[in-house]
Amino acid sequence: MSRRNRLIMGSAIGLAAIAVAVDHTSHRLPEPVTATSEQDGDELAGSSEAPCGLTVSPCSLDESPCSLEMESPCSL
Amino acid sequence: MQTTATPVRSDKTVVLFTLLCVLALSLFLQAEFSTRQSLLFLIGLGLGITLLHAAFGFSGSWRAFIRSRRGAGTRSHILLLALTSLLFFPVLGKAFPEFAAVAALGPVSVSVLVGAFLFGTGMQLGGGCGSGTLYTVGGGHVRMLITLGFFVVGALIGTAHLNWWLTLPNLGRISLIDSMGWVPALVFQLTVLAVFYAVVVWLERRRHGDLKDLDSHVPRSGFSERLIIGPWPLWWGVVGLALLNLLTLLVAGHPWTITFAFGLWGAKIWTALGGDVSSWAFWSSGYQSRALGQSVLADTTSVMDFGIILGAVLAAALAGSFAPEHKWRRFDVTTAIIGGLLMGYGARLAFGCNIGGMVAGIVSGSLHGWLWLLAGFIGAAVGVRLRIVFKQDPPMGSKT
Repeated sequence: MSRRNRLIMGSAIGLAAIAVAVDHTSHRLPEPVTATSEQDGDELAGSSEAPCGLTVSPCSLDESPCSLEMESPCSL
Repeated sequence: MQTTATPVRSDKTVVLFTLLCVLALSLFLQAEFSTRQSLLFLIGLGLGITLLHAAFGFSGSWRAFIRSRRGAGTRSHILLLALTSLLFFPVLGKAFPEFAAVAALGPVSVSVLVGAFLFGTGMQLGGGCGSGTLYTVGGGHVRMLITLGFFVVGALIGTAHLNWWLTLPNLGRISLIDSMGWVPALVFQLTVLAVFYAVVVWLERRRHGDLKDLDSHVPRSGFSERLIIGPWPLWWGVVGLALLNLLTLLVAGHPWTITFAFGLWGAKIWTALGGDVSSWAFWSSGYQSRALGQSVLADTTSVMDFGIILGAVLAAALAGSFAPEHKWRRFDVTTAIIGGLLMGYGARLAFGCNIGGMVAGIVSGSLHGWLWLLAGFIGAAVGVRLRIVFKQDPPMGSKT
């Protein structure tokens, strides 16, 4: 393995981590989810904040990140 | 072909650091978002480990088949499609109504045809497909960082143009499951895949007289050592990816996808640099608009992609192969840039890469997945020839 490549990869991953942290903190945080099994089950059944989640979904036939207002292909 | 195992020195520092990152991020996702988000990150981690240990890629396998008719990789892809179809069709066909999930249905359209062709060409130049780019970046291949960077740029440009492409001829979504019912559709699909498998076997046997084994990696002394350190035989990769894709379907509610996140990352970076994508049709409504307006960690495809990269880092460190030496060739940077751009742009037009467009489409019973396969393979054949032009490969028929 290459020392220089390890340094490059480490720097890239570190930069990406910083960028994610900056992005995360620049947005309003969602309401914390209490980790009860009942709520978790609800999320599995239909999160509203997921791509292709089941209620508000790019893969549902209403909205799609792929298809705009047209019919809804869901492959992201 | 079986060869003797050589001792492996795992990179303990990287292993420990990666495990700490995984633990921290999974706990953070659970605390800030949900158990579901944390689970999807861990599924991504499993996908990254599986992809790297099994060296499960599409671009290299297709290239081997196009150049020399060696079909082990291509056969493993057909087996993956067959096994995943077996798992998906009953769920998507509502045989188990308690599992609610949506299929990856795309239009049979000019945009898919052109996008998949560009993607197929790009993945040969870039050196990896959608999943391949992520896991080779995780494996520490520096050149693939360039490919990934321009993959993101291409995906962003694709979101700017997609609206126009969608105005071109389009037959709409065609679902085998909806048209035929899931049982006849599954039988039909498995029959078609069996024919494909037979053709690949026939072509390989005709050229070489034998078949390359799907279990041709270096043997290790025991199952657990092989499981942790790798390498895995291709068929382990097939089983692992099919099961993890099913888990994704059950947890996320949709099949495994990759490249929506790349466009999102590009849009966020462009916005951070002072650009404005909110007026672009793609980003102005629906899920995309919301994804742009919230943390990247709220996006399931991004979280899974992060998991894939970290999983590959972990697997490569365990195998002692993280950040290998790379002997730079003359056109390495050029091909990485062109390949990344073509893949990013093509994936957006084609409603996903080889995973989100082709695999997810086919195992969802969507005809656009088959169109993707056809156009992507033709594009790959062009890409294989362009690799020769760019001195990435020797001319066809050369032994070296």
